[in-house]
Amino acid sequence: MGNESFDADLTRSAHGQIAKERLYHWLLFFCAALTVFVTVSIVVTLAVDAVAFFRQVDALSFFTGTEWESSRGTFGVLPLVTATLVVTAVSAIVAIPIGTAAAVYLSEYASDRMRSVLKPALEILAGIPTVVYGYLALVYLTPWLRKGGLDLSMFNLLSASIMVGIMIIPMVSSISEDAMSAVPDSLREAGYGLGATKFEVSTGVVIPAAVSGIFSSYILALSRAIGETMIVVMAGGMQARMLDLTNPFANLFNSGQTMTAAMVHAVTSDATGGTPEFYSMFAIGLTLFFVTFSMNLLSNRIAARYREEYQ
Amino acid sequence: MATTDESTGSWFGADGQVSQVRGLLFKLSCLGATLLALGLVLVFLLYVFNDAVQPLTADTGWLLTFVVTLVLPAVAVGVYYYTRDTRAGEVAYTALGLPVATTLLAGGVVITFEHIVSPHAWFALALSATVAFGLVELHARTRTAGALERLAVVVLVPLLALVGVPGIAVDFPVETPLLGQELFRLSFAIPELVPSLREVILALPVLPTAAISLLLTFTLPIAAAAAWHVRRVRESDRDGAIAGGATIVAAGLGLVAAPLVDLSATTWVVLATVVALPVGLYVESVVRRDVGVSGLAFPVVVAAGALIGAFLVDALGFAGPDLWLDWDFLTSPASTTPRDAGIYPALVGSVMMLVVVAVAAFPVGVGAAVYLEEYAPNDGLLGSIVDLIEINIANLAGVPSVVYGVLGLTLFVRTAGMQSGIVMVGGLTIGLLILPIVIVSAQEAIRGVPDSLRQASYGMGATKWQTVRNVVLPRALPGIMTGTILAFGRAIGETAPLLMIGAAAVVRIPPDTFFSLFSAMPRQIFAWSKEIETEFRYGVLAAGVVTLLIVMLMMNASAILVRNKYQRQN
Repeated sequence: MGNESFDADLTRSAHGQIAKERLYHWLLFFCAALTVFVTVSIVVTLAVDAVAFFRQVDALSFFTGTEWESSRGTFGVLPLVTATLVVTAVSAIVAIPIGTAAAVYLSEYASDRMRSVLKPALEILAGIPTVVYGYLALVYLTPWLRKGGLDLSMFNLLSASIMVGIMIIPMVSSISEDAMSAVPDSLREAGYGLGATKFEVSTGVVIPAAVSGIFSSYILALSRAIGETMIVVMAGGMQARMLDLTNPFANLFNSGQTMTAAMVHAVTSDATGGTPEFYSMFAIGLTLFFVTFSMNLLSNRIAARYREEYQ
Repeated sequence: MATTDESTGSWFGADGQVSQVRGLLFKLSCLGATLLALGLVLVFLLYVFNDAVQPLTADTGWLLTFVVTLVLPAVAVGVYYYTRDTRAGEVAYTALGLPVATTLLAGGVVITFEHIVSPHAWFALALSATVAFGLVELHARTRTAGALERLAVVVLVPLLALVGVPGIAVDFPVETPLLGQELFRLSFAIPELVPSLREVILALPVLPTAAISLLLTFTLPIAAAAAWHVRRVRESDRDGAIAGGATIVAAGLGLVAAPLVDLSATTWVVLATVVALPVGLYVESVVRRDVGVSGLAFPVVVAAGALIGAFLVDALGFAGPDLWLDWDFLTSPASTTPRDAGIYPALVGSVMMLVVVAVAAFPVGVGAAVYLEEYAPNDGLLGSIVDLIEINIANLAGVPSVVYGVLGLTLFVRTAGMQSGIVMVGGLTIGLLILPIVIVSAQEAIRGVPDSLRQASYGMGATKWQTVRNVVLPRALPGIMTGTILAFGRAIGETAPLLMIGAAAVVRIPPDTFFSLFSAMPRQIFAWSKEIETEFRYGVLAAGVVTLLIVMLMMNASAILVRNKYQRQN
């Protein structure tokens, strides 16, 4: 700051200065409050149009119906929900063991040099756009699985959900690793002092001490899997299919439509504003928003509530 | 584990025999999982890259030539750095990455001046903004009293300089409430009274050429900023003047030399400013510090290898690979025949969208972070509101992107009445999406500023805002930039919100204003993924995906570069 302007600041009236400070204070407050406005407007916009949807479609048949044929006016949300659950479950089977093991390795075993290479690499994986993952699932994974002898249709939930699992691995591993790294070394040293091996310290001391962080990483990752759109749209297909419990593999090997895919379908098909098909998007979106929002809340609560406090 | 079994009281492991097999297996499986996580995606990406470039379609001689001239020397030098001189390795990494990243940025700037704001428009804009700023500053210096007069000057002068007094056209039917019967129609038009300084400049009969305009209003400010930075870091007026002067000379040389190397003068000016200046500063700083200077050889080895290889294959007549990802792909519009298809309009769309995202999300995000970290009270009613805001931000970051798409559609298209699928709507929607990410990372950066600095500033009589502006923000800026660039990397790859707001699948003409229809790279990739032809699936799509990934990786790498530099300084 030059001398001249410093003088000017001293001689300028105090009233102006105070008004200026107050102006900036409120300006910045409004920036922060804008985020609340975003949440509120998400809820309001979704709710208003969801109400419009339920005026045209019976709510009970929406939540209990087992058939979703939006172009023919049949709106039963269960096929979408079950497809979403299938994708989430399979992606969890892929991501949770791999992600947790990777976190243990990074936090307990990796040398500093190894970590300085592996951690940024995992971060970059987390930044790859989902449309790329969707492309990988559609163009490479599905043909490979077919060559491996699985009887897959071109669009299928199996390769989509495996790819969703691969996508959320970095999320599980990085948040779990943070939790494990936060466990103080004194606990590890106490373990070694009792004669425990490195394996026993890792599994018997570090993981139990970090379990709240690990669980919250699982919940966050699963909420990400539930809300994932592009992979399931590109590789999972657009055909809504009710979960068939008598033939569990058929659910995976055939195409299916998740909630997110149905929303994309409602917009990209020729449905115009005002039709139930268009409004169905908002009802699904509202459901999706509440599911993911409450999962994130739960994850934060678990992390905060069961966090071990170390000095 | 040496311990007693409670039932038998006997010791286990007391004889010093602890089985290591289990622990070793556990360690190996953990390592295996980490490598699997990375390897899976890597294998997929190798396939994509292979499909986009098709290296095996080249002549064997072509491949051999480049292995000998480019790959072997680069690997040899890399091994030398890794084993002998790690600092030189870091220098080599930056010295190769910086030119590549800045060239990419220069590409973005060239696209900006090509499609978004022409050099002349920029010249007029920058000149009138400077004049307005100068007048306001002059007024503040000469007349210190009179808050009202100053306010009027601060508002009116920039307005006159940039906008002028626009003409007003009103055409508004006045209706009775409820019935909607038209009473009378309010309709009049006032022609433009005072044209703005910007328009006056644009209307001048003689304007400098595009290259000179850029030299004056793009290179000059950046050179001045570089000079100021060097002067501050080195505490030497002379060094600052040299840095600034060299930049202007290097850019100005383009007016004469650009035609000789088959570049347009504007491109030269942009390249000199965006690429040569940072690279020059970096090289100079490495040489001056004299640590790892040999790392600077790496980019030279790579560039020389590439040039010699290109010369040799040309001379010997070896055919190169059958590229999908080539210059034509980057510069042609989409097409239904795979060989002609290109990504240029989508590339321009992505750049323009990113401009809107940056303008919309960066100031608001940083402002919110400053409020939450510096101003927010801890108790009372406002304190609990602030707690709510913090929880809300953490949760907003986890809301699925498709929901943001619905929000954008309702908020900007159906409520605000904008046309669906235009750059502005796309940018604002994605801006909302990355806002929580920007806020959280900016908060972390601001939290990292030591409290002693704030106390020192208050101790010198600075107000809160002065402390934030002069102490906290400059210190937190590298951290904020890192988080923001990462968030922009996320923004450029988002697809689902673009589908929801109706971004076009195929746009043949790049958007020329922020209110034109656009397509972005991920949207274009999604559109191509619906084509069933093999040439699209394994050729055009692969090329598009590699382009998107390269842009994204460059952004991430530059964020990591900023972070590493910043960490070392602390």
